[in-house]
Amino acid sequence: MRPLLFLATLCTATLAQQKQSDFYTIDSIPLPPGEVMEIGSIALMPGDKVAVTTRRGDLWICEGAYGADLSQVKWTRFAHGLHEPLGMYWKDGSLYLTQRPEFSRIQDSDGDGSADVFETINSDWGINGDYHEYAFGTSPDKNGDVWIALCLTGSKNADSDWRGWTVRITPDGKMIPTCSGIRSPGGIGFNAEGDVFYTDNQGLWNGSSSLKWLKPGSFQGNPTGNKYHKLANLPAPPEPTSGSRVLAEHLKFPDYIPPAVVLPHGKVGQSPTAIVPDLSGGKFGPWAGQLYIGEQTHSQVQRVCLEKVNGIYQGAVFHFLEGFQCGIIPAKLDERGVLFVGGSNRGWASRGNQPFHFDRVKWNGKTPFEIHTMSAQPDGFTLTFTEPVDPAAAANPASYSMAAWTYILQKSYGSPEVDKATPIVKSATVAADGKSVRLVIDGLVRGHVHHLKAPGVKSTSGLTLWHPEAFYTLNEIPR
Amino acid sequence: MLLRRYPFLLSLALLAPPLHAQDGEQLYGLYCAACHAPDGKGATGGAFPPLAGSEWVHGNPKRSVAIILKGIHGPIEVGGKSYNLEMPPQGDALGDDQIVAILNFVHKAWGNKGQEVKRDLVQVARDEFASRTKPWTAPELMKLFPLEKQPTALANLTSRVYKGQWVQTPDFSKIEAENVEEEHHGIIDLSIAALKQDFGIVWEGDFMAPADGEYEFQLDADDGARLLLNGHPVAEVKGLGAMANKQRISEGKVTLKAGANPIRIEYFQGKGIQDISLGWKIASAQQWQWLTPQAPSKSPSVPTIPLLPKDGRTVIYRNFIKGSSPRAIGFGFPSGVSMAYSADNLAPELLWADGFIDAGRHWTNRGQGFQPPMAANVITLSKQRFLPPSARFKGYTLDPKGNPTFNVKMEGQLLSDSWTLGENGTLIRTLSLTGGSSVLEIPLGDNPQVTPAKSVSLAPGKPVTVTYKLR
Repeated sequence: MRPLLFLATLCTATLAQQKQSDFYTIDSIPLPPGEVMEIGSIALMPGDKVAVTTRRGDLWICEGAYGADLSQVKWTRFAHGLHEPLGMYWKDGSLYLTQRPEFSRIQDSDGDGSADVFETINSDWGINGDYHEYAFGTSPDKNGDVWIALCLTGSKNADSDWRGWTVRITPDGKMIPTCSGIRSPGGIGFNAEGDVFYTDNQGLWNGSSSLKWLKPGSFQGNPTGNKYHKLANLPAPPEPTSGSRVLAEHLKFPDYIPPAVVLPHGKVGQSPTAIVPDLSGGKFGPWAGQLYIGEQTHSQVQRVCLEKVNGIYQGAVFHFLEGFQCGIIPAKLDERGVLFVGGSNRGWASRGNQPFHFDRVKWNGKTPFEIHTMSAQPDGFTLTFTEPVDPAAAANPASYSMAAWTYILQKSYGSPEVDKATPIVKSATVAADGKSVRLVIDGLVRGHVHHLKAPGVKSTSGLTLWHPEAFYTLNEIPR
Repeated sequence: MLLRRYPFLLSLALLAPPLHAQDGEQLYGLYCAACHAPDGKGATGGAFPPLAGSEWVHGNPKRSVAIILKGIHGPIEVGGKSYNLEMPPQGDALGDDQIVAILNFVHKAWGNKGQEVKRDLVQVARDEFASRTKPWTAPELMKLFPLEKQPTALANLTSRVYKGQWVQTPDFSKIEAENVEEEHHGIIDLSIAALKQDFGIVWEGDFMAPADGEYEFQLDADDGARLLLNGHPVAEVKGLGAMANKQRISEGKVTLKAGANPIRIEYFQGKGIQDISLGWKIASAQQWQWLTPQAPSKSPSVPTIPLLPKDGRTVIYRNFIKGSSPRAIGFGFPSGVSMAYSADNLAPELLWADGFIDAGRHWTNRGQGFQPPMAANVITLSKQRFLPPSARFKGYTLDPKGNPTFNVKMEGQLLSDSWTLGENGTLIRTLSLTGGSSVLEIPLGDNPQVTPAKSVSLAPGKPVTVTYKLR
């Protein structure tokens, strides 16, 4: 009897591990044969069509990307000769693109299936031929403005007008410089509330890649492009001190908005890209209202939950999806809960070793056991879960551990983890319904990344968390 | 019996991986071993290409499927050795299940760490390549399914490029870098600078030593280079000079702890040939491991991707075209005449004939620099903006043949600038002005063999045609 009991326990223990394919399927969408489809933008169109642009300047439209049989997809090349678009959306019969040199409207006005109108709406920012002067653009915000983040020259200089700034293009085509301090964006988009965020890559004045809130009028940390304030009679942005800390400089300069969620280098990717709010109302998992971030180097998608404390955005990042065939650059989530991702690894290698890809991700309706949200309290954090937790395990402080650190805000490339601290979980109180736990923690450090591990937490059915780690950026401690 | 009494054993059995209907190893022996040998090392003592440790079975599994379906023809390099044989196509001889079984065996045999091949990948590949009748060539395969780069011992590598003229490795700490970049491949590669002369590069990162112990490093450069580990100089190639005779190779020994050791490599190039070679080994080992690109080509060469008009329509290339401004828009017309319009200067700037442009530079690696038009003789029509600062580029429209009309908006006036192909290699330009009352004087450049007039007066409502002769 004993050997069989042992086998039974082994069986249960193995069953307790959740894996990605239990909840999400990644389907490769076949691409036009022989074409190099290094995807830089995705736009959802009426009639279940999906448009993509490539780094070689082509615009293709895919029919059948939502279908059950992806071998039936049909591709039509709608336009070519575009200059590296990184941002596209469909509106009122036209496709709008953020290209390297301009913000454009593309339209097929004579109905022959290929674009014939290439209208330049605005091209007021500078480019000089440096490949690093990328421009990433959003869809229209709640006011109808399109936000465009302008990468630095050579990723460290600002040799052309407005490099290092985020500008917005109004519905009547005017460019309004809005935020300074940008370094090397990988993507730009909205949270579920419609506020604007962008991802900035580790590098000069960026200790680790981060998700940053583009509060209008704010400075985002890298002063290289500051000089362009003169071109529009704007007040000079802050000049932070190299060797300092984000928190210290934010306290000196209130317009310097700290990164909302730091993505610890190497632990949570290395090159964050697309920003996608979950507006599907629960069709892509129980994450309605949360945010997904694409990751180019590690070929992943991370999940972020945000909150505002004392008027500042902050929150936690969780690992979410992995194993994509290539680096992810753009991503779009359809309100029916279909996530389209695409990308390329030309020039910047990725874990997924395909040179380019276009994938669709769907949720099968089964809810994973995960930390749902993590929010800051005056003396710790509250965790909510997707399923009730086993009360004994979740109430045991030993089921959790925490480490905290920050990065140097400095002129040089990136930063090691510094000012390390070990906050202690003193108590964990499980709510009556078992779906949340209140952690009381000694030694929280304002401004630090707080890395929570919860390996001891189990669901009432004995599952451990699919992703037992969270990284919370504690910009503000609630009072 | 056992399963009835202990039903969970049934679920265990169901959890176990299904038995393959086909035995991959057996099928390999039957169909593949004749050429690739039962041990995967290549038949007749290596006259045939190996599969054991082959870079061709790693990375994208679709490549392996494509090879089995269609075979290979012509030269191919495997593990640094060249072969020029014929691999016959197996797609019609083998069923999908057999191909899956064979590949899943090959991908994991003999220490191979290839990816799993799923059954539907074979069907997808069959459909995708259905119209292909010829075997693959190695270059075709490498373009569609690039070979995986093996990671080096360098992690967290960044590069900084500097411009300057030096006769020895300068003190880079005193110079401003032009560019800083991440090098995820961990390879020391001069092509990232995309410069021919008078430049320097500094790489910094971590050398991931596999174990505690003594290490040897070998450095050579044209022109000079320095290697530092943990802040201490280990090897140096001083001043201007070549690598050709291997006279200047610098070797150094250093003791390292396992794990990350900060490494710094400095390099400078004067004129002429540019090259660098950096290898390492654990002192007691025989084989050097290289941190610089090795044979066949030292630096990845940029392929030629000539763009050509097709089906009687123009081809458009919007990128950095040498001779024009950053916002250049190139149009290649059928019959070989081409132009580049500058959306910065709001005027056509370049005309040329007989080839459009090579997109290779911008469509590979990071796409750096300006690419010259594909012609021996490029006519410069203008280099400057003549319209007022308030003038704004409004984009272009295309007619059904892709002929462009460029639109510029000024105070109260709209300027339209259309281009079509004329007879005998000419381009016909139609300028029209709408709105307002002022006449616009449009400069046409000083190229009497191309177009006789140096300028033309454009009145609102009175379009003007100019013919440009390129041949």
